[in-house]
Amino acid sequence: MIQTKPYEFMTKYTPQREWIEGGGIFICLAFFTIELGGGTFVFSSIFDSLVGMVIGFLLTGLGTIFFLVHTGRPIVFYRACLRPQASWISRGVIFISLFLILAFLHICSYLWLSPYTALMIITNIIAFMMMIYAGFAMNSVNSIPLWNTTLLPLLLVVSGFWGGAAITLATSMATGSFTAIAPHIEEYIRILLIIFMFILVVYLLSIRYGLPAGQVSVKEIIWGRGKALFWTFVVVLGVAFPLGVVAYSTTSGIEAISRILLAVAVLCELAGDFTLRYLIMRNAFYGPLTPV
Amino acid sequence: MRWGMVIDLKRCVSCYSCVITCKEEHFLPPGIFWNRVLVSEKGKYPLVTKHILPVRCNQCKEAKCVNVCPTGATQQREDGIVWIDPNKCMGCRYCLVVCPYQSRSYYSDECEYFRGKGLTPVEKIGKQLYPHIKGAVEKCNFCMERIDAGLQKGLKPGQDRDATPACVISCPATAMYFGDLDDRGSDISILIKEKKGKQLHPEHNTDPSIFYLDY
Repeated sequence: MIQTKPYEFMTKYTPQREWIEGGGIFICLAFFTIELGGGTFVFSSIFDSLVGMVIGFLLTGLGTIFFLVHTGRPIVFYRACLRPQASWISRGVIFISLFLILAFLHICSYLWLSPYTALMIITNIIAFMMMIYAGFAMNSVNSIPLWNTTLLPLLLVVSGFWGGAAITLATSMATGSFTAIAPHIEEYIRILLIIFMFILVVYLLSIRYGLPAGQVSVKEIIWGRGKALFWTFVVVLGVAFPLGVVAYSTTSGIEAISRILLAVAVLCELAGDFTLRYLIMRNAFYGPLTPV
Repeated sequence: MRWGMVIDLKRCVSCYSCVITCKEEHFLPPGIFWNRVLVSEKGKYPLVTKHILPVRCNQCKEAKCVNVCPTGATQQREDGIVWIDPNKCMGCRYCLVVCPYQSRSYYSDECEYFRGKGLTPVEKIGKQLYPHIKGAVEKCNFCMERIDAGLQKGLKPGQDRDATPACVISCPATAMYFGDLDDRGSDISILIKEKKGKQLHPEHNTDPSIFYLDY
């Protein structure tokens, strides 16, 4: 934690702390697992993977627990859905609650009903809404240029879908349905990976040449206190390694790739995804109150 | 009616009276500040200028914290004062993150001022008179209890001490003024007009109720 004297508060570019330091890390984890859970459920329901849907459901439940741990008074959590007209957190609580109920019903009815029902479609729509709320909650913070851009919700949704597709691929290896669905998932992963890379570069460049506080944020992520995590986990492990595996599978076919290599690629993608979110939350700078 | 404040930066001597008086008035726990006096420097020796900026919640007319609060704990009164109902606050800190002036505090650690030595008599009285709820967010509320009590007695906030925020009446340099911004004849409205009072960072589009002179 950065120690400042009380009279130095907000006299320089100041990073936000409440949503990343101490107990605040739990909201970062909550946003990550909820978006990952939504993406996993969507892809698993499309590719008819019950195990994947259960994992998506459990990830969302875990994210809800993380959010409750983050709040200072979880006993009043029931009030969090009272202002959907104005608050993105209210909307998110409603979407998550609806998703958990509908996903549970869909999973329970899976064995007796056709997998592709109206319930599945509605649940997937709610899952998508659940995935976007965190990005928009951060986007509505006008005073943090790193967050106040429409590219951020887009980046987080794409990475949520990418992670979900990766987890669905991993579960197909475990459940024996790899041969049937892996080539199809691999196409989605290829497209999502390219879109993610493009959006990430455009996002960082747009902030880099924007407001001063945003420039400080990007500088800290890429060349400052976040550079070790950024270059190691986000660029090398999170993007370059999966890109290499995808490039290899494009030429040789996904079935030619060793299962262990694929599993490692999935883990690297998830690590890179979480690290990027962590860096975006940790290096979110406010402009100073006093004249600079 | 819209309560507002004017702070004359040429008069402020950064004595911290407002900070300490606020702490006393509301029995604020350790580490919690509703008022701050920010000190920054510009230039290089020997051409250095010191900039002093007393800050507190700006009670913005377009308060972003009111919009983002999911539980309705942060509310805005008709007189413009933005206040927090701690019993409704769940401590998500969304309001704290969204405030461009970072004027809110999160009460996370319940501890005494002299760690390990127990509560002082003042702290014990404070817990009865003005309890703070652990896990909730809190901030300056323009001493709304003093304003409301004063209005009930027929006093005028900004003129009568018992109806005016504690920080304003404690300032030895009379650098702070309090009054009704909607009253064009009030002292602060005249001051803002004549001395070209400025709001803090108007680019955030929050329309703060605190104006600074010579900013």
